[in-house]
Amino acid sequence: MFGWFKNPPMPINEIVRSYDSTPMPSPKTPVSEVNFLVLDLELTGLDPKKDHIVSAGWVPIRQQEIMLGDSAHYLVKSPVGVGQSAVIHGLHDHQLLKGIELCELVQGLLSQYPGYVLVAHHAQMDLAFLTVAAERCFGRSPKFKAIDTLKIEWQRLHNKGKVLTKDMLRLNSCLARHKLPEAPQHHALADAFACAQLLLSQIRQHSSSMTLGELQSLSR
Amino acid sequence: MEVTEVTKFLAETTPFDELDTAQLQELARQMSVYYVRGGEEVNTDSNRLMIVRTGVFSLYSDQQQLLTKLQSGDFYGYQQLLTDLSDQDTLLCDEDGLVYWLSAEGFQQVRYQYKNIDLFFQRLFGRRLHQYKAQSTNRFTLKIIDVAKARKVSISPDATVQQAAAMMTEHRVSSLLVEQQQKLVGIITDRDLRSRVVAEGLAAESKVSEVMTNKPFTIELHAYLFEAVQLMSQHNIHHLPVLRDEQLFGMITATDVIRAQQDHPVYLIGEIHRQHSDDGILQCASQILHLSQSLSSQQVPAHEASHVLTTVTDALTQSWIKLAIQRLGPPPCVFTWLGFGSQARMEQGLNADQDNALLLEKEPEGAIAQYFEQLAKIVCDGLNECGIVYCPGNIMASNPELRLSLKGWSKQFARWIQTPTPEALLKSSIFFDLRPIYGSKSLFNALQQDILARTTDKAVFLYHLSHNALKGTPPLGFFKTFTLERDGKQKKGLDLKKRGLILITDLARIYSLSKGISAINTRQRLMQLAQQKVMDAKDSQNLLDAFDVLAQLRWDKHQHDIAQGHEASNLLDPAVLSGLQRHQLKDVFEVINQAQSQMKYRFCREL
Repeated sequence: MFGWFKNPPMPINEIVRSYDSTPMPSPKTPVSEVNFLVLDLELTGLDPKKDHIVSAGWVPIRQQEIMLGDSAHYLVKSPVGVGQSAVIHGLHDHQLLKGIELCELVQGLLSQYPGYVLVAHHAQMDLAFLTVAAERCFGRSPKFKAIDTLKIEWQRLHNKGKVLTKDMLRLNSCLARHKLPEAPQHHALADAFACAQLLLSQIRQHSSSMTLGELQSLSR
Repeated sequence: MEVTEVTKFLAETTPFDELDTAQLQELARQMSVYYVRGGEEVNTDSNRLMIVRTGVFSLYSDQQQLLTKLQSGDFYGYQQLLTDLSDQDTLLCDEDGLVYWLSAEGFQQVRYQYKNIDLFFQRLFGRRLHQYKAQSTNRFTLKIIDVAKARKVSISPDATVQQAAAMMTEHRVSSLLVEQQQKLVGIITDRDLRSRVVAEGLAAESKVSEVMTNKPFTIELHAYLFEAVQLMSQHNIHHLPVLRDEQLFGMITATDVIRAQQDHPVYLIGEIHRQHSDDGILQCASQILHLSQSLSSQQVPAHEASHVLTTVTDALTQSWIKLAIQRLGPPPCVFTWLGFGSQARMEQGLNADQDNALLLEKEPEGAIAQYFEQLAKIVCDGLNECGIVYCPGNIMASNPELRLSLKGWSKQFARWIQTPTPEALLKSSIFFDLRPIYGSKSLFNALQQDILARTTDKAVFLYHLSHNALKGTPPLGFFKTFTLERDGKQKKGLDLKKRGLILITDLARIYSLSKGISAINTRQRLMQLAQQKVMDAKDSQNLLDAFDVLAQLRWDKHQHDIAQGHEASNLLDPAVLSGLQRHQLKDVFEVINQAQSQMKYRFCREL
């Protein structure tokens, strides 16, 4: 399963360089042709310097289809106990012992999905943790950018003249508004999958010729 | 590493429900998920199995005939996977939804591995062939959604009339929806272009907003087709914008309607609206019995038949009101003709009597009082002659106590709610189901909002209402035997209405009043109660099923009585039922029993 790690062994610094050198699709690319990787991380807290990633889930979208066969869910060995955060994500220390190393996770992401546009709900947080993780593992991190479904939803509602409360932008509230199946809270893969469905629905609110650049501007 | 959302759904979907978790995970990995927007055509030659997760899809033959509707748990694409022959079908998405695509390899694999799954799809294919042959849909049950296509041709109010004309030509339509910020603001038809632009000598640069019809009548996608007929004939219009959840869906025209239902006896409704004389209306009313017989012979489900019959009563009422206004001159103030009870719930049977009243904008004094007294007399007498007989309890607009202003009604309801005397409680079962039949909707809305605000979470009132409703029980004895009752003529039977239908209607009303739900129809109330999680989805479904079974039995019984030349009676002799039916009926009563004890627990605990 972790074949990319075993062979061929790539020099550590090569991983970041190779990820960086793969071109991202240009803003003029129609969204229907863009490959996305939707991801979600479960964390021990909110501070990327102090807290840790306990699990990660992702699922790619190609040609507007969520590819379930390539979905992945990993538990990550934590350097310290998960402590109180177990209450939220339901993962306990003994489960995380079976997980993979943090560097394996980041390496898997970078080597498998170069050229994929990252997507997350409240992406800022996930990117901050990924960046710190890459820096720890490889000495430096790619400059990650992502489409944020939360921001898209914020703009969408804002343009409709709705008064927004924080609750309205939670993943499950967004799903309900888009009449999508609810996600069981705080499971990285389930949330990543739900977020992917949300993205497709958000894209479908616009014309079929929408470009990546237009999508990015909605996510600002 | 599977997505539980997907495997959980598959585990509940025939034929995959026989697979275990590991097998389902394996299957899910061969799938992808796609979001389809309403109006989008689904690509049908991708040689994969499509599984509908959410949304509604219409399948049209190459002749553009509607073959079937696909909903959650339905499949498409197996015919091509099984035969390698592609179809010339069109699959159109009516309501946004998610579909799962299973790859051809995945499909073949699971088919070879599990014999039952293979058999399932073979059978489905067999049935599908049949679909092409049996295309005559039941004419009465046609809904707007069956006829209207998810095709929205719209223009901005700021466009010019020339652009509008060009657009009509391009799309070959006779009308356009005028839309601003995704909201319907009007419609413009080719007739408008003729009579309001060309005939008036307006410039081609004139704005659409200057000549369009503002705030047009609209119809819901899930309404029955005959309701569109009624709106069109009542207001002499030929185009109706179709809404789905208040969003614009498309347009339905008189031509669409005629094409869809050439032999529809509910033309009767259109006919009624064209009458301008007593004799004409009476002539139409004499056809009701014939209509009900043909509804019955076409095996229209009971709840739909009652809906049709209620619509006829509505049309007759409206015609009499129009005739009265013709005779008496324009009304001195705004008013609403109210229907109560079964007419309000759209659940009328053949033996329904009148339950109606008047809601007036101003206090009924002097000339106003006089005018509406006369109007009520004409309408109530007229309906009586049409066979919708006077209410034995005098709940009719001809009763001066039931011709009140908004303030008057509001006071009246407040009194019933605050001091629930036995008489008030008795009345609640009739008066709390109300619907505007003719006149001002906003006047009615004001009253309804007022009532709902008063009843929501009003524990004392709900206590008494429930207590009263619980006096009626299903006719099941201790050992689950039927308890029969006699009517005046010494005939034993089960009273399907008093000991069945009414109990469910009461339950639905009490729960709805407790949560401010404005639906009136019992089935709609039960559905909304489940949607808003006031009632458990399963309980609501059970009650719905029970209601349908009882309504069907009663409807069949009435038809049978009439065919035998008897009066329609609600008393059913269980001996005429088959063993299976008897068993089913006991289940129905059991469901009511349980729902009643839940209601007791909810509303009748000590206060």
